[in-house]
Amino acid sequence: MSQDWEIAIQRTINNNVPRVHKILENHKYILDLAKKLREAKMRVLSDLETYVEQTLEAVKRTGGNAYFVNNAEEAKEIVGKIVGKGKIVVFGKSMVAYELGIRKYLQQLGNEVWETDLGEFLIQLADEPPSHIIAPAVHMTKERVAKLLKEKLGFDVSESSSHEELVQKVREFLRNKFLSANVGITGANAVAADVGSIVLVENEGNIRMSTVVPPVHIAIVGVEKIVPTLEDALIEALVQAAYAGLYPPTYINVTSGPSSTGDIEMKRVSPAHGPKEFHLILVDNGRLKASKDPILREALLCIRCGRCHLHCPIYRVLDGSWGDAPYSGPMGAMWSYIIYNDYKPALYCTHSGNCKEVCPMKINIPRVLEYIKYMGNKQRSDK
Amino acid sequence: MLGKLIYDYLQKYSFPYPIDKKICSGWAKDLPSKGETILYTSCMYQTASLSEVYSKFIPYAEKLSPLSFLGRFIKPSKDEIERAYRILNKIAQLLKRNGINFAYLYEEEPYSGAILLELGYLDEFGQYAKSVYNFFKNKGIKRIITVDPHTHNALSRYNEFVEHFDLEIVSYLELVKDVKGVNREETFVIHDSCLYSRFLNLRDVYRDLINKSGIKIVEDELITGVDTSFCCGSPIKPINPDLSDKIAKARVEQLSKLSKNIIVVCPMCYANLSKYGNVKDWIEVVE
Ligand code: SF4
Repeated sequence: MSQDWEIAIQRTINNNVPRVHKILENHKYILDLAKKLREAKMRVLSDLETYVEQTLEAVKRTGGNAYFVNNAEEAKEIVGKIVGKGKIVVFGKSMVAYELGIRKYLQQLGNEVWETDLGEFLIQLADEPPSHIIAPAVHMTKERVAKLLKEKLGFDVSESSSHEELVQKVREFLRNKFLSANVGITGANAVAADVGSIVLVENEGNIRMSTVVPPVHIAIVGVEKIVPTLEDALIEALVQAAYAGLYPPTYINVTSGPSSTGDIEMKRVSPAHGPKEFHLILVDNGRLKASKDPILREALLCIRCGRCHLHCPIYRVLDGSWGDAPYSGPMGAMWSYIIYNDYKPALYCTHSGNCKEVCPMKINIPRVLEYIKYMGNKQRSDK
Repeated sequence: MLGKLIYDYLQKYSFPYPIDKKICSGWAKDLPSKGETILYTSCMYQTASLSEVYSKFIPYAEKLSPLSFLGRFIKPSKDEIERAYRILNKIAQLLKRNGINFAYLYEEEPYSGAILLELGYLDEFGQYAKSVYNFFKNKGIKRIITVDPHTHNALSRYNEFVEHFDLEIVSYLELVKDVKGVNREETFVIHDSCLYSRFLNLRDVYRDLINKSGIKIVEDELITGVDTSFCCGSPIKPINPDLSDKIAKARVEQLSKLSKNIIVVCPMCYANLSKYGNVKDWIEVVE
């Protein structure tokens, strides 16, 4: 273990684990919501194609554009066409965009691109892969962050700067970018198939700004994020926030198509003050195939709360580098196989079982990983 | 392929690698060899200390021919073997004290197949499970008393692979009632077995036994909680021995913050953690 990692992860665990325990104890209804959510998500995963169709149609009804893409190439082509070149693009954290390599692709096209989630911003500056699904820079100590900001952007900060000072400096820098951005790109915590809305939960406020300030908003989302209704989507936001230890979440955003108003004779007119274009890109990239396999399907229930990471001995000892970025930790060992057909991270599972104990979706992660080991063994012996 | 290789060894030696079966059975003398209920060791306590040697061999295993394995049988040290025998004898005594009668299969006792399961060789595990099940059935066995979590877990999974599986699998922990702590002065910390604690529902069973024994246990939400306690690193040893060691070291460091006396309920935890701290099987601290 590098010393930095050891310090950073220990501080994170001390900050986060008891807090999640308390949240779940104080708000028992979250346990019921999590159960309801699992059932709703399972319904979708058993018939994913139908729900994809339903979602695409629903988005179009709200005046948005909706696309289904099979892989990274197709996603890049669409995003590239919408964004063009010479633009300023702000990203509200999207793991799927990272998976598809969208940020680097847009940079190659000649755009100025900024991650605006603080953790993701640090990752961009350091040019490192994220080490945790919701706190991508969890491997960096405060001291390392200060050094990075000073070196890369010339910020007037030092190792003794407080957490607050560091955040303040980044805020000042990014505010400018938000205001001049042409395109905002986000992921989504959930997509409601019935009405085509996307739901995003956050605390920083960067997602709000990425979705509302630039004239164009693109959401890039894995198909497994589809839930039957907007009610389910809101539930997903609450459950994710609680199990991530950030409850109540500071913001929950619902986006249904481009901005609109009904203020003149109550006729709904679009656009209003916010974006004039909304694009939803639903991504397959291995998910549909996984949804057909009764064991792998379980992995698609993941709501990216990042809880399993902090309870996993392997994740803790392996410097956050376990799994194929952006998918780390126990969930990442499952997702590395689904997305990249890489079974090797699964071989590292010691079946400690903590992950299954804490997972809000009750995914029996060690069992899924055992199955991936099995598939990997078969793959090797076929060679 | 490693799975096939292990499977071949199992056929030949009833063990994942060549071993003199007398090492496995040497602890027992006066137990009957026939009966409907057996005490089943799967030779885990007796060979736990060999996991180190075994895991060093694994990376080369696929390149070697099955019969060239180290060229000879490997053996635990005298101290290790004596300790394992003491533990097994104590378990047998405790069971008898609680009125449980059982037989023991001596050198005929097969291995459970746990390693195949844990390395993800599910086809081989299923096949092997069937042969072990048939072996038990032919012997007229109805009830199996396990003594370690890996074996208990493997047997508990047989029903996924064996049609109409009808053997009763019970841990000795569920059969033993009162025990008395041999040291009630100092404090102890429990390193839970992952399998017992989070897969087999036995965490409270041994905790209650230990707590009632008068031994003082220290707990901490972030170190010994049901969802926070670490594994010992042993299951990953065949894949990455260094990582396994790192986990063991980190685990002992955590536990030592609570007490220097660490108790375990699994021979593999013992084997992996002992290098870094003062570790005892729980059975060694009660009578
Ligand atoms: S697998 Fe479960 S615990 Fe881990 S990130 Fe996903 S939902 Fe959270």
